[in-house]
Amino acid sequence: MKNNHSHDQGLGLDINELRSAIQFEYEGLAVAPEKGFHFHTGRKLADILGYPDHWLDGIPESAIESFAGTGNPLSIAEVQPGEHVVDVGSGAGLDSLIAARMVAPAGQVIGVDMTPAMLEKARRSAEQAGLDHLSFRHGYGEELPVDDDWADVVISNGVLNLMPEKTAGLQEMKRVLKPNGRIQIGDILVQKEVPLSAKRDIELWSG
Amino acid sequence: MTLVMAGFVDMTITQRMDVFTGAPHEGSAVNYGTVGITFGARLPLSTAEWHAALKALNCEIPGS
Repeated sequence: MKNNHSHDQGLGLDINELRSAIQFEYEGLAVAPEKGFHFHTGRKLADILGYPDHWLDGIPESAIESFAGTGNPLSIAEVQPGEHVVDVGSGAGLDSLIAARMVAPAGQVIGVDMTPAMLEKARRSAEQAGLDHLSFRHGYGEELPVDDDWADVVISNGVLNLMPEKTAGLQEMKRVLKPNGRIQIGDILVQKEVPLSAKRDIELWSG
Repeated sequence: MTLVMAGFVDMTITQRMDVFTGAPHEGSAVNYGTVGITFGARLPLSTAEWHAALKALNCEIPGS
């Protein structure tokens, strides 16, 4: 990680510590999705968010069981055959897998995640589904391992809210997008004021 | 506004769902009225298009 990213923009959070806490939480979701979290997960969450059955049909259960989004990015508009898609914070790969089937055969999808256990799970699911135009890379939302102007669409689901440097995350999405490229994002909306003490509480960020 | 400042235009929220209430270990997210949303936006085709979006928000246009 770059030194200039070691702290956030004013909250006094140590970003390495925050990322470690988030990785710990999501590693748990990768290896033991049944244990229960502070958010809904898996097929139940996909149902809540309106993922149609035909999107989920044929997707490996391992990708569905560790799903933890906050929205339904592909409900805005399905990505099109031939398009290039980046999934920021791809987790166990559910949205990436769905997008990969939509862009086939000429398109490509790159999922980026910082949690090794999630990357491993997503790669296994892509292999199981036979989607060789889908790849997963280790990286952070604020430093995407993707070339400039590569993507037609950037999707992300429940991840921007976990980035203390949201502007940096948005700038990275902008960097990898082609002109007129789209972002389709699941995020959270907090309807009550969060005190500064809570914003500085890493446990509240991750769980 | 953050999205427009970051260089995007045509931001639209398309979905708003309660994704925390009733979770197995329902936590502080519910206390703060947190809901899940889905939104989209796009990069402008030209700097002029972005400047028009900034102007609509009454934001200062870079270099002006």
